[in-house]
Amino acid sequence: MGTISLEKMNHLFWLGRYAERVYTTLRMFDWYYDVMIDKNPMEYQEYCRRLAIPDIYTDVENFTQSYLFDGNNADSMYANLMRAFDNAVVIREEVSSEVLSYIQMSLDALKLSAGCAAPVLELQKVTDYLLAFWGCADDYVENEESRNVLKCGKYLERLDLYFRFDYPTAMLEKEYSKLKNRMCRVKLVCYDEKLEEFIQIVRNPEARKKKYTEALELLGEAVEV
Amino acid sequence: MNELIERAETINQLLARYGVKFGIYKNNTFHEQLFPFDAIPRVITKAEFEVMEKGLVQRVDALNQFLKDIYGKKQIVKDGVIPEEFVFSSSGYLPECEGILPPKGIYSHISGIDLVQAKDKSWYILEDNLRIPSGASYPLIARELCRRASPATFRNNGVIDNRNYAALLKETMEHVNCGGICVIMTPGRYNAAYFEHSYLAERTNSVLATCSDLFVENNCLYYKGYGQKKQKVGALYRRISDEYLDPCTFLPESLIGIPNLMSAYRAGNVSVINAPGNGVADDKGIYYFVPKMIEYYLKEEPILKNAPTYLPFYEKDRSYVLENLEKLVIKDVSEAGGYGVVFGRDLDKEQLERMRGLLITQSRRFIAQEVIDFLDLEIVEGYERVERKADLRAFVLTGEKTRVWASGLTRFSRNPDSFVVNSSQGGGFKDTWVLSH
Repeated sequence: MGTISLEKMNHLFWLGRYAERVYTTLRMFDWYYDVMIDKNPMEYQEYCRRLAIPDIYTDVENFTQSYLFDGNNADSMYANLMRAFDNAVVIREEVSSEVLSYIQMSLDALKLSAGCAAPVLELQKVTDYLLAFWGCADDYVENEESRNVLKCGKYLERLDLYFRFDYPTAMLEKEYSKLKNRMCRVKLVCYDEKLEEFIQIVRNPEARKKKYTEALELLGEAVEV
Repeated sequence: MNELIERAETINQLLARYGVKFGIYKNNTFHEQLFPFDAIPRVITKAEFEVMEKGLVQRVDALNQFLKDIYGKKQIVKDGVIPEEFVFSSSGYLPECEGILPPKGIYSHISGIDLVQAKDKSWYILEDNLRIPSGASYPLIARELCRRASPATFRNNGVIDNRNYAALLKETMEHVNCGGICVIMTPGRYNAAYFEHSYLAERTNSVLATCSDLFVENNCLYYKGYGQKKQKVGALYRRISDEYLDPCTFLPESLIGIPNLMSAYRAGNVSVINAPGNGVADDKGIYYFVPKMIEYYLKEEPILKNAPTYLPFYEKDRSYVLENLEKLVIKDVSEAGGYGVVFGRDLDKEQLERMRGLLITQSRRFIAQEVIDFLDLEIVEGYERVERKADLRAFVLTGEKTRVWASGLTRFSRNPDSFVVNSSQGGGFKDTWVLSH
C-alpha cells in the first residue's frame, strides 16, 4: 500500500499496546483473583500498586466488577479494550476486517461477561479472541512496516508489565530481544540506548529495586510515536 | 432458501462481528447501531433487471450530461426545458464550479438511484442521489456472509455474484485518476457511514484518509506519509459534503475539508468523486425534469418512470395539489434521509390549511407526489413473516461506460404503518438478488 501516515502509525502502535495490556493483565488478574478467593481478599491492593493505578475499590467484589467491566473507570479492562478498539476501528483498511473482528469480538465477550459469578471462566473468551487477533494480524496485515509497528507496541507493553510484576530476568530478556528485533525494522524514532539502559537495570537485581521508576521511564521513551 | 432464512441470526451475529454498523446522533450524542438484516432477499429476475439496467444507464447518462451543461453552456435552460428558477436557486448549485470540466467529463461517478416497485410490478424512480450515495457496502458484506451461512442457497438459485462492487469502484476511480494514488476521504470515525468508508477502502485497496492526512501544494493534492514522505493523490473519493470540502472555497469554518482542494481540482490535477456541485441535479425539484432531460439530451423515451409528481411552482399543478392534498405526499426539497416528508392523509384540518399556505407562499420549496401503492416485501419478525414497505437503492457507476451493479441496497421499514425505510429511522436491510436466468 505504500506510505503510512503518522496518524496510522500511532494507531497501530497503540493498538498493539492496548491489546497486549488487556491480554497480559487478564493473565495477571487470573492469578490475583485466585488468591482473593480464599487466601487474601485484599490482594487487589497489591495488584493496583504494581500497575500504578489508584485503588478506588471498596472490596474484592467491587474491584472485580469495576476493574473488569466499568467503562467509566479509566483503568478498567473494559476501558483499555475500548482504547484498543478505538485505535483498530480507524485502520480497518490497514489491518483488515478479519483482524478488526477479533477486537470487536473480544469487546463483545467482555461486555457479556459483566456481572457473572465466575469472571475468569467467562473472560477466557476474551483471551482466546486476543490470541486469535495476534495470529490473524500475522497473516492479514499485509504491510510489513505496519506489522512491525503493531508488534513494537505489543512487546514494549509486555516488557513494561513484566517489569512491574517483577517477572524473572530470563522472561524479560526474551521480550527485550523481540522488541529490539522489531525496533530495528521500523521507521519510528527509536532510542536503542534507552532500551539498552533499561535491560541493564533489569539484569542487576539491586538496580532493579533502586531504579524501578527510572527503568519504566526509559522504556516509555524508547519508542517515539 | 429456507436454510438461509433459518440462519438469519447467525448472519446478524457475523455482521456484528465485522462491525457492520451505522452511526446516528441522538440528543447530540453519537451512537453506533447494528443495521438489522433480514435474510429473505429481494429477487429481481434477469428480464426485469435488463429493463431496469437500460433505464438506469439512460437516466444517469442524461444526468451527467445535464451537469456538464449546467456548469457549461446552460443550453437546457436557454431552450426553456427547465426553468432557471429550478436550477440556479437550488442549494445544490455551486457557482464555484462554473466552467470546471472534471476529468473525462464525468460528474456523477457513483450514483445511487432509489426505486420502488408498485403492486402492478412496475418500477418507479423515487429519487436520484448524485452527491455521496451510501449503502453499497451493506449488501456487499451481507452476501459474503450469506454465502458462508448457506452455500446450498447460492448453489441452487443462480444468483449473480455481487462481490464485484469493489472492483467496479476501483475501475471507476482509476478511470479518472489524474496520476497518483486513490484515496477515500472520510470525515472520521463519528460519521454515520464510517463503516462503509473503511470497508470500501479495504476492499478497493485504497488509502483511507481524513483531512489531516491530505494537503495541497503547488495545485496538487498529496497524502502525508510518516516523516517527510508524501504521495500524490490522483483520485479522491470524498465522503464529505460539498460545503465542507474546501474551507478556502466553501464554508470557511469547515474543519474537515482540505484547504485549496478546489484549486487542485480546477487545475485538473486530481479527480474529485463525485464532482462538487452535483446537488443541482439530484434536487427533489429537478427530479421532475429528469424525463425531459432524457428526451432533450439523448433523444430517447425514458425507460423508467418517475413517481407521478407535481410542482406547486406551476399554477396548474398547484391547483391540483391544493385540491388533492389529503391523498398526496409532500416533500421538502431541501431535506433528505426521510425527513421533510409529509403524508397529506396524516394531517388534521388545521395542519392541512397551514401546508396549503406554505405551498402557495413557498411553492419552489416543495414537490407533491401521488402515494405509490408499494409492493410490500416479506420480512421475518420474531417467528412469523410479515409484509413491510421497502425500496431499492441501485448503484450505477460511470467510468469508461456506465454500468449498473447487479445488486443494490433494499431497505425496509420495520414499522408496519410507515413508508419511511431509512436506516436512520430504524429501518433494516435485505440483500438484493439479480438472477442469472
